[in-house]
Amino acid sequence: MAIDRRLLANLDGPLLLAVSLLCGIGIATIWSATKATVHAELYLKQLTAIGLGLVGMAVVASLDYRRLADRAPFFYAASLLALSYVLFFGPRIAGTRRWLLLGGAQLQPSEFVKLAAALFVAKVFAESRKDELGLGDVVPSGLAVGLLSLLIAAQPDLGTAFCLVPLFLAVALLAGLRVRAVLTLALVGVLAGALGWNFALRDYQKSRVYTFLDPSTDPRGAGYQTIQSQIAVGSGGLTGKGFGNGSQVQLGYLPARQTDFIFSVLAEELGFVGVAVVLSLYLFVLWRALETAQLARDRVGAYLAAGLAATLAFQVVYNVAMVAGLVPVKGLPLPFLSYGGSSVLASLLGIGLILNVRMRRFAN
Amino acid sequence: MRIYEDLRAVQDRLVVAQRLVLGLMLALLAAFWHLQVLKNRYFLELAESNRIRNVPLVAPRGLLLDRGGNLLVENRASFNILLTPEHAEDLDVTVARLAEALQLDEAAVRERLATRPARFRPAVIRADASFADVAALEARRLELPETGVEVVPLRAYPMRSAAAHALGRVGEVSERQLEQEAFAMVAPGTFIGQAGLEARYNAELMGRDGVRRVVVNSRGAEVAEAERTPPVDGPPLTLTLDASLQAALERAFAGRRGSAAALDPETGEILALGSLPSYDPNAFATGVDTATWRALIGDPMRPLMNRVIQGQYSPGSTFKPIEAMGALAEGVITPQTNIYCPGYLSIYNTVFRCNRPEGHGSIDLRRALAVSCNVFFYQTGVRLEIERIARWSRRFGLGSATGIDLPAEAAGLVPSPEWKQRVFRTPWYAGETVSVAIGQGQLNVTPMQMARATAALAVGKLVQPHLVKAIAGRPVEWPAAQDLGFAPEHLEAVRAGMCDVVGPGGTGWRARVPGVEVCGKTGSAQVVNRARLQRDGAENELIRPHGWFIAFAPRERPRIALAVLVENSGSGAEGAAPVAREILAHFFRVAAPPAPPAVPATATAEAP
Repeated sequence: MAIDRRLLANLDGPLLLAVSLLCGIGIATIWSATKATVHAELYLKQLTAIGLGLVGMAVVASLDYRRLADRAPFFYAASLLALSYVLFFGPRIAGTRRWLLLGGAQLQPSEFVKLAAALFVAKVFAESRKDELGLGDVVPSGLAVGLLSLLIAAQPDLGTAFCLVPLFLAVALLAGLRVRAVLTLALVGVLAGALGWNFALRDYQKSRVYTFLDPSTDPRGAGYQTIQSQIAVGSGGLTGKGFGNGSQVQLGYLPARQTDFIFSVLAEELGFVGVAVVLSLYLFVLWRALETAQLARDRVGAYLAAGLAATLAFQVVYNVAMVAGLVPVKGLPLPFLSYGGSSVLASLLGIGLILNVRMRRFAN
Repeated sequence: MRIYEDLRAVQDRLVVAQRLVLGLMLALLAAFWHLQVLKNRYFLELAESNRIRNVPLVAPRGLLLDRGGNLLVENRASFNILLTPEHAEDLDVTVARLAEALQLDEAAVRERLATRPARFRPAVIRADASFADVAALEARRLELPETGVEVVPLRAYPMRSAAAHALGRVGEVSERQLEQEAFAMVAPGTFIGQAGLEARYNAELMGRDGVRRVVVNSRGAEVAEAERTPPVDGPPLTLTLDASLQAALERAFAGRRGSAAALDPETGEILALGSLPSYDPNAFATGVDTATWRALIGDPMRPLMNRVIQGQYSPGSTFKPIEAMGALAEGVITPQTNIYCPGYLSIYNTVFRCNRPEGHGSIDLRRALAVSCNVFFYQTGVRLEIERIARWSRRFGLGSATGIDLPAEAAGLVPSPEWKQRVFRTPWYAGETVSVAIGQGQLNVTPMQMARATAALAVGKLVQPHLVKAIAGRPVEWPAAQDLGFAPEHLEAVRAGMCDVVGPGGTGWRARVPGVEVCGKTGSAQVVNRARLQRDGAENELIRPHGWFIAFAPRERPRIALAVLVENSGSGAEGAAPVAREILAHFFRVAAPPAPPAVPATATAEAP
């Protein structure tokens, strides 16, 4: 399908600009976080991933989202297959099976599963014609998404697995799921959590929860990340210690500083001012995404944009709260900023879908 | 073409979603404001304590020099091998590698790890490591980044065991010491003086430690130095000791047990001070190992005890000149008084024997000192009475610590009726005065007290004995000698007797030094009573009397006063006088005279 001029005219330029700025800040921060280490060339790899992501974004935006949504069952099946494959045949890296080796590249299917899940959930709820949904209406689709989530959790990757929950809940609520039903669901969730705590969680996962409740119980172990991140953030002050000058970052006290804790690098070196700028950019991106959902010409578009916005919001809020020591540490990258090809690629493809919905908001 | 769907309900809900996102972002901003602006100072301090580590720069302790500037105690650079376990990625691997590099047991390494003062502080795995150890570690630097080598000054005693009791030793500050105010500024693990001058002058000798503030990375490796406060060395102490005389003194003992102190009778400067058996304080410089410590503590001959100031013995006949000065001053005898000695004194229903069973006949003070006639002094003591004996003893400095600049000095004991009533709640028996009159009974003195009393006999003044002449080149002000106010003719009478001790027919002839007029007095301190000594003395050396010899020389303008005690040597004449002779010969640079004829060591050969 050719991209006609009208579509291009409706491209959301401000959103694209905000996302590009976030990616640029990410590259600079990765450079600062790694310049004193053996990983000093990582920012170049990130740059490559962003380039690829922009191309992918253009491709995704050019395909009509309705057609993509029509193929949701296919994407769902592909997701199941990829996740199962990784779980059984993927290489074991740092105790987890998350990776798919494609040629020379490593891909993390779970990142792309979020997109497939967004398409799938949007399609399923768009088909429903009810104004109000009860618990019974969401159980089948909930189980389908839950299966994906379980497969990701088994890698184990609790952070990414949990990303599917806000996605599903947000779309279900938009589609008319009663709040009472959500409360019932929450009750079930608590029960499941209790069971999971006793039978499913591994010791390192439990210790993270304990440590979150009191980081000082294990300052050199699991609480170390939280404490060091808080020190980095807090010592950054209003204007930061200067780009490339954070002692927590440069002397290696901050763990996972180019990936999950990249926001703490930013907070230390650029201070509250840098934090405010980046959070404003995220707020703008989310605002535009939700606006896109409002402008969408049909339910599929609205649900797709809203679902993607929900995952994105969850990731940003959780990651930033984690860096501030407000929530337990989970391996969850910060979209656009954290180093990681799959995360960047998938995030940009998600933006491509949102652009897609906005471009086609007028009837045709 | 499709009909537009009715999306109004969805759109309303999306407005709620937008507000929710806005609210969450504002909440996050508030959280960051709290951390970054409100609690900024707190976290800055934490970041700073992460980044900056204070590395103490140990100030070298002050040197100890003898009166001629010869080095007695110095510092040498030594290497400590350190391990900071928090910096290890896998402590088991690190311990195994380190144990292999140092050829140690892994258990030994872990034992050392347990001794460190605090978390994140390195443990000293091997103190005073050899060059080979350091080289072995440097070769594995990359495998063992959590280990380090520090250079610390270590106390060294080049004369080894010589003068060990005067110089003292160092050791790690104990927990009990840390609670004391004197050590308020001392960090746990610091080495401080634990005995002798090292302890007495610890505050001066320690100097002031410096500190390096270094920037460290998360593995504890030093990245840069932020600041350096250099240490201030402890000032050197110039002692009154003469290293060569000290060596001569210890040589003179030739392996026998005992102690001796020699001082300048005019000033109280101690020229030599030895207690034997001794020990090597070098063994304590890095912290003494348990086996060595147990051996030293458990040794029945008590090598750690400084006999000069902690050994308390009856003065025996060396007390006689002191008593004589009291008797002359109180007028109970004159230099011309003659007393008849039949070989015993029968008084208070007891028979007190003289050292010469056949008696000395009619005898005056001078002769009585030379031959150590007991009966003369029994009679003198009875006339003087115990209160005045006690008073004059105290004027010579007996019965109280001399105030020498060494810790833990014993006071000795001058008995009196008042003392006996207080301690034993029994009255004084007149017969006890007779025993005290010849330096036995409850009378107890240290060799240091006797050396000082001998100096008083030599010059008529009581000096303040001391070991430190100057600190950092500045003379130390010691209390001036106190004139005892003796009549010159009385002092002359006692000196004449003491000179005859070393002259022909005197008991101390073995202390004779060619060309030097030596004045002295022999003595022996009974360990057990006469009956038990005669029964068991032959097989049990430890019950034989201790031999004393006190001396000063030359007779005119004395330059040295000394007291020698040789434990269980039987008698002062045979056991102690030859030791005194060798010390004096060295002092006056006289070729050592031929050794005295070997005399079978019998316990009763000489005066008590």
